Amino acid sequence: MKRTRTLLDDLTNPGAIRMELQPIVDLSDGGPRLYMLEALARGPRGTTMERPDVLFEYARRKGVEAQIDMICIAEALASFASLPGRSRLSVNVHSSTLASVEGFTRKVVDCATAYDVDPHRVMLEIVEHHNRWSAATFQHALAEIREAGMRIALDDLGMGASNYHLFVDCRPDHIKIDRSIVAGCSADPWRRAVLASVAGLATAVGSTAIAEGLETFADLKTLQDLGIDKVQGWLFARAMPASELAQSPFFRTPSSPDIAPGIEGERSGNAVNQHGRPVRSQEKTH
Amino acid sequence: MKRLLLIDDEETILFALDRYFSRNGFTVDCARELEEAEALAVCTSYDLVIADLSLTENGSTEGLEILRYIRRTCPAARFILLTAHATALVEHEAMRRGVDAFLHKPRPLAEIARIAATLMEGPRP
Repeated sequence: MKRTRTLLDDLTNPGAIRMELQPIVDLSDGGPRLYMLEALARGPRGTTMERPDVLFEYARRKGVEAQIDMICIAEALASFASLPGRSRLSVNVHSSTLASVEGFTRKVVDCATAYDVDPHRVMLEIVEHHNRWSAATFQHALAEIREAGMRIALDDLGMGASNYHLFVDCRPDHIKIDRSIVAGCSADPWRRAVLASVAGLATAVGSTAIAEGLETFADLKTLQDLGIDKVQGWLFARAMPASELAQSPFFRTPSSPDIAPGIEGERSGNAVNQHGRPVRSQEKTH
Repeated sequence: MKRLLLIDDEETILFALDRYFSRNGFTVDCARELEEAEALAVCTSYDLVIADLSLTENGSTEGLEILRYIRRTCPAARFILLTAHATALVEHEAMRRGVDAFLHKPRPLAEIARIAATLMEGPRP
């Protein structure tokens, strides 16, 4: 018997797409401290879509990345709102979504308001795979996002279509550096050169570089030597559901959950773990 | 461990193939739609692909589209195309697109596995 129900029907069911949150850590001024949380999508358990790369590749092929993006934003805000304190949320969005969803910013702000999340605490990470958007509409959407108080990051600079052209267009507050550049940087002068270049680029325009996929102390030291002090990766914490994150040292310490001096210079907050050192991914913290 | 992509819209066939090949040393991903199969192929490098020719309605030929896509993105993968509705034209087109084996359904799992093993042992295209 042929299937009548498609995978897309399953994906758009409420609760089918789950969000996990991964801490971004600030190492400046005697850190580490929680800087921000990135929301990462997971498709239904036990399906091929549980892998986010497959989920979004499928969505792009079905031409529904905007629909899936909006579901992810709503789910991310819901997860984030369940956490105590005043951290910040970073959530991915395709540039094509900004250009194609009518009233995109208003919808995000409405959703944030519904979950009692101040839009100033939200950063949108622009993901680009294909330059299919109208530049004028895209620019208009970016201006609206800034006007609403949200921040903008450029995801995976240098990967795919996330290029200098998009960097100039977006004028991002944050630049995310992909794990493929970060992993192994301590032993590879070519990777270090790219990292130094991005760090310099960020400094030149008053932006902040964030290194993704940090897994070793050797790479951590290299990043710090290059002046990159906002990091994300299994060396500090894996992505996890909000309920699990709420029990982690990021939120469990008495002084938590205020965040590090960061985007808007708020006062510093909690240490990464109870021992005052980074936590390896394999370590359970509770 | 070898990676296998199974593509069929019929859950029972997918289930049986998945169990059989998983128990025989493969890491298996299952896809039910053209776009799902292509998304998996973008994100994963497969050693073997076993696809049904028709995924939406009798007579459709999504398997040929997947074959063309796999040949572009993962040229070293072995590709077995299964169908219950073979025509000479379709078989010719599958050969032209580089299929390694074109099998008529139903076919015993052990025989599919034997053909797959023979293909995997041979030189890569």
